[in-house]
Amino acid sequence: MDEYPAGSLDHSIPFLLTLGVAAGASDASGATYDSALSPLLLKEQAILIRSEAPALDNDQAHALLRYIQEHDASDLPCNSRETSRRYRFRVRTAERSILLPPRRARLPDGLEIPPTPNPPVLHSPYSPLSPISPLYPDGLIDTQWTHKHQEQVPSVLLCFYTLVSDPALATLCDNQIKTDVNNIRGLLGQSGYKTRIAVVLVTDHVSYHSVEGVQERLENIRKGCAIDSKTFFLVPSHESQEELERMAENMLVLLQGVAIEYYRDLGRHSRKKRGRGVVPQPTIPPTSGTSQTLSLAGWNVRYDFKSAIFAEYRLEMDNALRSFEQAYENLLSSELMEVIPSWSPRWNEARFLADVIAVRCLRCLLWNGQHSMAARRWQFHRERMADLIDRRGRGTNNYGWEAWEARWATVMANLIEKAEIPEFAPSSSRLYLLPEKAVMGERLQPWELLHHTGYWYRMAAKHLSARRAFARAMPKDDRRSPSFSPASQVASKAFTYDTYMCPEPHEEYPLDHSGVDHSQLIVECLIRARKEFLKRQQVRCAAELSLECARELVSIKDWPSIVELLRPIWRDMPFRTEGWLGIAEELSWILRTAAAMTAEADLVVAIDWELLNKEFTRRTNWPYDITRSLDGITPKSRPNIHISDARILSFVSASFLFRDEEGKAGQTAQAQLTIKSNTHQGSAPILLKNVQVALSGSVSGVVLQHKADGVGPEQKQGKALLTSVALAPAAAEGEDADDSTSESAELSEKSTTLKSDAYLVLLPGQTLVFAMEIPLREPGETSAASLTMTLETEAFDLQHALKFDQGNTASNVWYMTASKTKRISRANPLSVRVLPRPPKMEIINPTWKAQYYTNEHIELDFEILNQEDVDAPAKLDVILFSEEADPPPFSLELSGRRIEETTTPSTSLGGTTTEELGLLDISLGSIESSRSLAVRLRLPPVNLSSEYTLTLRVIYHLSTNPGTPISQTKILPLTIVNPFEANYDLLPRVHPGPWPSLFDSEGLQAADPPSQVLIPKGLSQTWQLVTRYASFASEPLRILDVDILVQKTSPSVRVLSTKLNPPPVVTDDGGGDNRRIIRPQAMEEASFEIVAQKNTLDDRNPSTLDVSLVIKWARLISSPDDDKIQENAGIGNVTTLPVPRFNIFGTEPRVLASVSHHLTTSSGHNQLLLALTITIENASNHFLTFGLSMEPSEEFAFSGPKQTTLNLLPVSKRSVDYRLLPLLVTTIGSSDGGGTWIRPTLIVRDKYFQKVLRVIPTGEGMKVDKEHPGGVLIWVPFATPASPSE
Amino acid sequence: MATAIPSIACLGVIGRNNNPLHISIFTSYDPATNSFVPVRTALQFSLLLSSTLDVFELRARHNAAGGVGLSGDFGLLHAVDERLAAYGFETNTGTKFVVIVDMRGRRIDGNAVMAAGEKRAAAAAGAVGLREGEMKPVFKAMQNAYIKLLQNPFFDPDEHSPPSGRGGRRITSRKFEGDMRRIGESWTPGVTNL
Repeated sequence: MDEYPAGSLDHSIPFLLTLGVAAGASDASGATYDSALSPLLLKEQAILIRSEAPALDNDQAHALLRYIQEHDASDLPCNSRETSRRYRFRVRTAERSILLPPRRARLPDGLEIPPTPNPPVLHSPYSPLSPISPLYPDGLIDTQWTHKHQEQVPSVLLCFYTLVSDPALATLCDNQIKTDVNNIRGLLGQSGYKTRIAVVLVTDHVSYHSVEGVQERLENIRKGCAIDSKTFFLVPSHESQEELERMAENMLVLLQGVAIEYYRDLGRHSRKKRGRGVVPQPTIPPTSGTSQTLSLAGWNVRYDFKSAIFAEYRLEMDNALRSFEQAYENLLSSELMEVIPSWSPRWNEARFLADVIAVRCLRCLLWNGQHSMAARRWQFHRERMADLIDRRGRGTNNYGWEAWEARWATVMANLIEKAEIPEFAPSSSRLYLLPEKAVMGERLQPWELLHHTGYWYRMAAKHLSARRAFARAMPKDDRRSPSFSPASQVASKAFTYDTYMCPEPHEEYPLDHSGVDHSQLIVECLIRARKEFLKRQQVRCAAELSLECARELVSIKDWPSIVELLRPIWRDMPFRTEGWLGIAEELSWILRTAAAMTAEADLVVAIDWELLNKEFTRRTNWPYDITRSLDGITPKSRPNIHISDARILSFVSASFLFRDEEGKAGQTAQAQLTIKSNTHQGSAPILLKNVQVALSGSVSGVVLQHKADGVGPEQKQGKALLTSVALAPAAAEGEDADDSTSESAELSEKSTTLKSDAYLVLLPGQTLVFAMEIPLREPGETSAASLTMTLETEAFDLQHALKFDQGNTASNVWYMTASKTKRISRANPLSVRVLPRPPKMEIINPTWKAQYYTNEHIELDFEILNQEDVDAPAKLDVILFSEEADPPPFSLELSGRRIEETTTPSTSLGGTTTEELGLLDISLGSIESSRSLAVRLRLPPVNLSSEYTLTLRVIYHLSTNPGTPISQTKILPLTIVNPFEANYDLLPRVHPGPWPSLFDSEGLQAADPPSQVLIPKGLSQTWQLVTRYASFASEPLRILDVDILVQKTSPSVRVLSTKLNPPPVVTDDGGGDNRRIIRPQAMEEASFEIVAQKNTLDDRNPSTLDVSLVIKWARLISSPDDDKIQENAGIGNVTTLPVPRFNIFGTEPRVLASVSHHLTTSSGHNQLLLALTITIENASNHFLTFGLSMEPSEEFAFSGPKQTTLNLLPVSKRSVDYRLLPLLVTTIGSSDGGGTWIRPTLIVRDKYFQKVLRVIPTGEGMKVDKEHPGGVLIWVPFATPASPSE
Repeated sequence: MATAIPSIACLGVIGRNNNPLHISIFTSYDPATNSFVPVRTALQFSLLLSSTLDVFELRARHNAAGGVGLSGDFGLLHAVDERLAAYGFETNTGTKFVVIVDMRGRRIDGNAVMAAGEKRAAAAAGAVGLREGEMKPVFKAMQNAYIKLLQNPFFDPDEHSPPSGRGGRRITSRKFEGDMRRIGESWTPGVTNL
């Protein structure tokens, strides 16, 4: 809008002129009246209006004036929302006099008045009718006219006077006022202006209430001046500021009405003139040019324009808009613009008027809130003009049109700014306004939704660029100054270029000197647009504008500005992270150029570093060598550039992986550092000075130093290069190597950095993989945080920090070999969980057996092996625990000597039965590294099978680190089982000896010599005890001896036992001894003969027999060494198995059958003869009679009593013998190993009780007949016994 | 008299990480040379698409504050100038579709360049503006094409908009590109189904 002449586009605001206050203090606001009449008009009779009264110069008047001035509405936003303001004035002040432009132009000098009957009619100097007007004879209207109303002719003349309180001077002064006002009125009346007069009386120092007759005086003055009471004000002195302001406010509100009345009159006048419909005749008819005068349509435009302006003054925007539109349509109608030739200055004037009207229309629309209509109107005007200029003017393909387009966009931006649309406040984050209701349903162009000014400025910038492009495209001839070019060319130029409000071609883009600074204009627009976009957080848009701006700046080589503009954007532009690489690339290149020009070395290097990335398009003939980045640039100091990963799009991607999820303190963890280069193919290799990996945890970092050759083993496959590096702790400065203790203490406390050499040259597309082992020291979590690459060239140092990306699972690739990779799929391969340091003290139990048995001495050997690197003072806890039984006391031997013994199970723990028995805190002394200590636990034989839990705990610390106790625990289940179980049979046998007779004298002399050994004289019985014992052990055991132990249960019985049949055992070791091996689950049998005899015959009570089986056994020593077995055999274990109690010496009679085999030879072959002896014992005190009957059988023949009766005295036994000849044997004949059972049917019957007695078989070759109770079966072998008894 | 009618100048698919997934550029009628050329360069279209992200963000903030419109049709994002306007749509997975319309991309004056659909559209439209919702078929078609793409088991969305929030690869599906091209070329105002 600034390009348009001042005042041409200003919003029309009622003009208030104050007269009669001295400038004094109030001139600060500077709005003094300056009619600024052109010299031409001054020469005319400019109307001087002068006040004769002295100017007011008191505080009251100044304060009032200041208030009025402060409420000048010139800078108010042009919208209708400012409803709090009930008035709008443009305020100017004049002290004494004002100079109004003349109403009537005079005739030009030296003009000969043609002899006409009527004298020439004089018109306003602003009218095209007056010859002195620049519009004469056919112009339309120009800025002069708007200026006249805006700046020169006030609507209200506000005259200040003093109301003198001094009664002596009162009348005189009052009369002076009256005279002055009347004088002014007279002058105004003469001039023809209808300016309203208002009078302000400021009383001097005394309050007017005290002055008598003030009312009359005021009335007198008012009437004398013929002033309406509405425009007559009295300001008392000594009023408070608030009171004064209130008065001034009221005054201005009243004056607003007056002013509007004034403009209404003027508007009415214009409409009246338009309504006449005649073309007024000029003062003198034109004689020069085409002698054309303004047509009626032109006059209508003029009148409409005037009415519209006056309506604008009255803030009747609807009316104004209507009139403007009318004027606009008429102006562009076929009668006006269409007929003005484009070479005529009137053409540009008309264009200008069209612009002015359009701008004012736009303002009216914006005032009314018709934003979309405004945008449409804007476009409409542009299209209208383009169309017009294409048809009638010089076309739109030249810089002039683009200049206008740019201006037109700027004007719109300015209007929007001026309208201060609240919806566009940055906080509302609106980019464009929704259409108003009137156009809501229509098909709208998107642009018709009014966008914020940023867009408009940007559009202006675009057109400015186009303007420059057109200017640049001009042929050289046209750019030459017209004074140096032939006239013909000047003429042709005039028709080619549109110079409406823009310079001639030779000034637009001159040949020899710089013309219009297009770039500057563009940059200004862009910066303004950018500001708007930034306000609304359109950062990307703003960046785009900055980029455009930078491009402009490149063309004018303003490098520092580019750096200033683009550096922040380059640093944190969203395009990079979001992947708009084309944009980032464009920006980088521009910035790089500028940075190189301004020797911003760090920026150059950083950009070069980033542009190495293959993702960017490769620029041909660009070296892509980072070391040569600063060629031709001499930085002030050696640049040290720090680049962080987030800042740039790094061409290096790195990962640091731990192979395992967990590791233990004191051990190492496998890790791999992978550095992948993604540079352009053909770019120079990058030699890194070192690479540092920052780790969290006990190891603070890993540093790999470049070394050209001689570094660890390499594997190369394709683009991958796998190197294993051996890490060593970095030597800290000033460290003393021999002070090992302090060093190790330091090691454990502070984290260290590990170092190694490696080959660190990155070729394009190469992947460097470094396999390493990270020692883990402290429990916790060790994770890789970042990587810093350091590059050192001749010109600069560069450090690039990369953060390892947790989420990027694609990079979690583990190189097993250079060619073989696997994906590590666990959640966080960048870290390893370090478990606490494992104890390295081992508890070994080398001789631990699978099973321990009762009744054995248990010796448990342990070795405590120190596998730590240093000595370890240790202590041992041994705890034996059982849930069922009290654990046995045990003793501990340490390296062969007895150290400690448990006390008997104490009731220490709360008095309850302790299930736990232990030896605690047994000092083992210091165990040297890789030495072991033997510990032996001795447990006494346990009688019952039971289960225990043995816990051994070694608590130790390293001599280097006494603060940290380490414990190693071994828990062993100790199960003690019974190795044997047995069952028993007590079989009766026939005692060979006779029973003592009751009548035997010997038997009666019992216990005669008490001193002698008691010789039993009672009844005696023989029994055979058959025991069958089974091994329940899990391994073969050696049986040393089996015996029975007779308990002395009854003192009246003497019991003797004999082992009957220790069978001739063939032992493993071939010895003739009776040591036998019993296999697991095997069963062995042992028989014992037991002879029991009562001490006295009198004792005939039944008695019990208590024996126990005693097995002496030993473990087999797995060692084949025979001596050892022997030795071990000595310490046999004794397991005593109690035999259930047997009853002997029953009082009932027994029938015992015994058999013996005899071989006789008869009739040529051996004949077996069986001798069956039936012994009947009568242990009772009764005389018993038994009937014996033997029935004949087919199985055998027998001799002996077939039927007999036996009488048995009390306490006696008798025998009956039978001889049996088995018949079967003879018929079947002999055969080896076989035999048969025969059943002699022998019935023994108690004659008195008529009870059949059971025949009890005794000895070998007999058994109880189960089919016939009471019977016996006798074995008849087929073979001839090898050793016949006879 | 020849009347300019809108056409699509560019279709953009922008991923969840604000990363460009796909950009299709279409030609517009240039009355100066009487030929069809793109109105802007590829870089400029990139900038235009990228700048729409500002608007998406603004709207998202605004919507979040107002608690309305979680996603969906954003309508007109902004008009870049009196010729180009950007319309946007956001899926509920954060993928954004942007249509840049050239308001004077086609001309209807009875020339051979005009397709039958355009004639009908012109007859229906009369004016050259755009109504609210005239972009809906375009977005619908784009979304359909995108869904078809997602249904391809070999298409890994995480690869194109990684959850790490940085960048992502572009869509290379020929079929998707074909779909975009078809949509961009066949749309004219008044078309209800693409």
